[in-house]
Amino acid sequence: MFIWWMLFVAVLPVESNADVDFDHDVMPVLTKAGCNTGACHGAAIGRGGLKLSLYGSDPVADYRAIALELKGRRVNLLEPEQSLVLMKPTEAMEHGGGFRLDPESEAAARLRQWIQAGAERHNLELRPKFSRLEVSPSSVVIRHPDQRLNLKAIAHFSDGSVRNVTRQTVFIAEDPVAVEIDSKTAEVRVLRGGRHVVIARYLSQVKPVEIILPFRGSSVKVSTDEQKQVFDQKHFIDRAVNDLLATLGIPISGDAGDDVFLRRVTLNLTGRLPDAEMRQAFLADDESKRRIDLVDRLLNSDEFTEYWTLQLAKLLRIHAQPGNEIGTQRYHEWLQRQIAENVGYDVIAKKILTAKGDTHQVGPANFYRTVSGAREQAEFTSELFMGTRLRCANCHDHPLDQWTQDDYHGLASVFAKIRSGQNVEASDNGQVIHPKTGKNARPRIPGVKFVDASDQPLTTFANWLVADQNPYFARAIVNRLWKSMMGRGLVEPADDLRATNPATHPKLLKKLADDFVEHGFDLRHTLRLIAASSAYARSSDSISGNESDVRYYSHRIGQLMEPEVLADAISDVLGISEPYGDKPLGTRAVMLVNPQTESATLDALGRCARKDSCEVPVSLTGTGGLTLKLHLFNGPILNQRIAGGNGRLSRLIAEGKTNEAIVEEYYRVALSRPVTEIEQRFWSQQLKETNGERRSLLEDFVWSLLTCKEFVTNH
Amino acid sequence: MSKASVRHEGTCNGVRRRDLIRVGGLTAFGLGLGDYLRHQRLWAANDNTVQKAKSCILVWLDGGPSHLETFDPKPEAPLEVRGPLGSISTAIPGIRFSECLPKTAAAMNQIAIVRSMTSPLGEHNFGTHYLMTGYKPTPVLEYPAYGAVVSQLHRGSGVLPCNIAVPTFNVGGSRLTGGGYLPAATRPFSVGGDPSKADFAVRDLDFFQGLDLTRLDRRRQFVAALNAFEEGKTQDQNHTSDPDLERAYQLIASEDAKRAFQLSEEPAAVRKEYGGKTIGQSCLLARRLVERGVPFVTVNDRGWDTHEKLQVRLKDGFAGAKVDVGLVPSLDHALSALITDLEQRAMLDETLVVVMGEFGRTPKLNTRGGRDHWPRVFSVLMAGGGVAGGQVIGSSDAVGESPLDRPVTPSDLAATIYTLLGIDPKEEFHTDDGRPVRISPYEAEPVSELIA
Repeated sequence: MFIWWMLFVAVLPVESNADVDFDHDVMPVLTKAGCNTGACHGAAIGRGGLKLSLYGSDPVADYRAIALELKGRRVNLLEPEQSLVLMKPTEAMEHGGGFRLDPESEAAARLRQWIQAGAERHNLELRPKFSRLEVSPSSVVIRHPDQRLNLKAIAHFSDGSVRNVTRQTVFIAEDPVAVEIDSKTAEVRVLRGGRHVVIARYLSQVKPVEIILPFRGSSVKVSTDEQKQVFDQKHFIDRAVNDLLATLGIPISGDAGDDVFLRRVTLNLTGRLPDAEMRQAFLADDESKRRIDLVDRLLNSDEFTEYWTLQLAKLLRIHAQPGNEIGTQRYHEWLQRQIAENVGYDVIAKKILTAKGDTHQVGPANFYRTVSGAREQAEFTSELFMGTRLRCANCHDHPLDQWTQDDYHGLASVFAKIRSGQNVEASDNGQVIHPKTGKNARPRIPGVKFVDASDQPLTTFANWLVADQNPYFARAIVNRLWKSMMGRGLVEPADDLRATNPATHPKLLKKLADDFVEHGFDLRHTLRLIAASSAYARSSDSISGNESDVRYYSHRIGQLMEPEVLADAISDVLGISEPYGDKPLGTRAVMLVNPQTESATLDALGRCARKDSCEVPVSLTGTGGLTLKLHLFNGPILNQRIAGGNGRLSRLIAEGKTNEAIVEEYYRVALSRPVTEIEQRFWSQQLKETNGERRSLLEDFVWSLLTCKEFVTNH
Repeated sequence: MSKASVRHEGTCNGVRRRDLIRVGGLTAFGLGLGDYLRHQRLWAANDNTVQKAKSCILVWLDGGPSHLETFDPKPEAPLEVRGPLGSISTAIPGIRFSECLPKTAAAMNQIAIVRSMTSPLGEHNFGTHYLMTGYKPTPVLEYPAYGAVVSQLHRGSGVLPCNIAVPTFNVGGSRLTGGGYLPAATRPFSVGGDPSKADFAVRDLDFFQGLDLTRLDRRRQFVAALNAFEEGKTQDQNHTSDPDLERAYQLIASEDAKRAFQLSEEPAAVRKEYGGKTIGQSCLLARRLVERGVPFVTVNDRGWDTHEKLQVRLKDGFAGAKVDVGLVPSLDHALSALITDLEQRAMLDETLVVVMGEFGRTPKLNTRGGRDHWPRVFSVLMAGGGVAGGQVIGSSDAVGESPLDRPVTPSDLAATIYTLLGIDPKEEFHTDDGRPVRISPYEAEPVSELIA
């Protein structure tokens, strides 16, 4: 009797807490305390016997684990304080994960109330559902490092009600050295200038917050070099780029000048150095429109088609499977035709996704022979066409994105119905097992809806993907076009678009994508747009105050030439072709269909084998640096042909040209500019022959020209 | 913003003393002068106090080695945990290794094992970044791997690179450059090729037909002039705007340095002792390099991502093998020979040997007879270089699933390795844009029991 009375007393005061619910009240406490991270109970097989879903993505399972398993131990209805779920994190009892929860805190009180009220999970059908997290401010400029900022998180529910969940929200700064966040009050201090991102997590949702603190002591000096009236000063790209630079207080470098512009845009659009005729035509053109005329000429050239076929072939990872060289050839030819005819990127994608038939005849059908396995196909397709990494959602719901295991295995299931041998065809029995249910996964449009197997899931997916409103498709490709032209993606890495990895210029990315869609998914249109901006034409020389900027385009980001482009440029300057495998001499590296074509030169320069993503240039990770420089000194890559008898150098010498004339020609061909007076003076000094070694002096000059930074970069 | 940047004197980076201080423009070098001088003092101070390792050989088992089939066997556990391999005793009573490690087991007096390594990162690229830098990966900054930090701070002599990978630094899915935010010149130099092959040689060390040192010297000076013109400087032939080109030249110019790579100079008996596999001959090459003053060598042994057929991959080598030539016996040969050889040459005390991969493997065998990624607990081996041998630090639970006591994070391990190498893990570098970054994370604590 006495015990019952005790219980009664204990329960009575919290009657008003009957409203405390598992999903809305308890889950945020667990997430905030870090219980369900991958390092703790959120791991695939849990920890210390307790398994929770990663970041609380599966409340049903978590409720079962906490309230129903080990009944009376994890939650003790009779003696709430004796519940493991309270004792462990407060370290009232030994806990492998240490002290996670202050017993005096509001969060602990909430847990206690929930247990006292019966540890229930309310029937969600009858209750308002959590629909959306709103964090304010979502983007803010702080004027002074001492200024404090308070973040606020509001949860919206299906019945229109809202709740302040700031205290239950986890805020994580991407750069903890730059941004300090008080985990209790969500008060933010910004310690370093720049644009910073904070990720807010409440229940299953994540939202980014952008915080900008202008660099100290900098005042914006806008470039005076605005004489080039060719370009619309109201260009939306320039508005976006310059606005952010002004906000950050980063000064802007001037215009690159016509010679540099000519070299830059010719490399970007055709993968070649401009030749003498092009330069002549360019400079002969009216100054007010010579740049845009040039861009248009380049966009309409065959060289553009060749080079951009290579760009897309890299994205599509076109490489020959053993025995399928013919198919690869067909695929490449088909792609080249699409580019030549300026077919919309949406149409290209749809043709690829829905291609069927003999891969030796139907080029795009080879898409289904690029990777093997339905899951791999889903990962590849999402990275390629959506710029997202679905692959994390193979084993668990994506912790930083919206992707769930249903999405991953659902998309894999869409591809499971395709049989891909020499013939790519639909099949009835392909299935993918969902690891959670152990049953066949249902085909699904990721993030949207399930599709009945009878409803042509593949066509449905393709239609959804290329629809005007699709949030990923256009963004993924314009971000890559931007990266190719500007040296850095608005989102990096370019295959990792997600809310929690926001673009440096989110509005610009959206506008570029919208504009791309409005213009019929026209690749040339967007490239032209970018080429016509002042941001694109900026000098690569930094000025005082913008030296360390590598992401806001205050000055040009220099790009190392791609291996294929560099190899071709070397051949062009030397006037001797490089042999590639059994291809006819004179074949250019950018035209090689198969990245396995034998070439020690392309290997040394670090070409992408296209078996995996080419997103990270090999030259940055593998054999660059010292290895390449040793090879330049002593390998055949330059030496063989420089010493060879029938190239440009031999011809110029045979024609009786002076050293001055030779230097002048090489500067024009290799660096696409006239040699300056100081440079010419230097070379005539250096090349003065002493004892009949003129040729070797000139060879050394050519070698150094092909090795210097100005040559090997697009700057 | 003109700032003082710093070059290292006459060193692995191949830059001469007169280039020590140069003002302006050289943003490729992230260190400010203040840092440099402080580190010089720091290094010198440490030289006087405790005997510390002068160099480090990191044997990287790429893909994530199974702790249960190497240094933390569970002979008492049920078969699905125990796995296909047996266990043997070591020179220290009570400590057992996998049956495939008899030679290493015999050297246990020199060896310390950490059996309670723990990390949350079970993906190759992430795990590799964490284990190789001591920092969890972030989108904001790539951190430098050990070799780059050592390279950045080193003031050795000679022209061999400070940070060398044998055969290549292709680790953890190859996203890692190894240099992080430090200058590109600190990245590991991959020797390439296969040291176990008879014709092994580092490419491009010998002159191309018709060239000689005079011409290479002229070429390098021409490039320096061209780069100086491009940067808008007055022509200056001593201007080295391309440190890699400079290092390449110094290496080619030094016959002595090039001999370091000549494995054929080693007696046949020594070569045999290390075993005929790539890992063995790579360890031998590593010894030759540290012998000549290279402070950091990564021996990268690939293929440890054993999701299937443990028996074949780890022990036999191939189906029906008469002699075990799998990953673990090959490691056993290489590692025991390395430790013995270093000891006989009186180099073990000043050479730190670390053996690890990016994570361990799942306690239970999967349906393909393999083990999947398991970062929650795994083992790391250390020997020489001031490590207190003959001990096991920490332990895993009965099935090798979680640390049982003394959990050690990769950050702690990093702090330990740096401390042994005489580098204060609390010191800071500055990145190009002035951000201060500690050599090891704030929370990193050196494992004091490991330090003799």
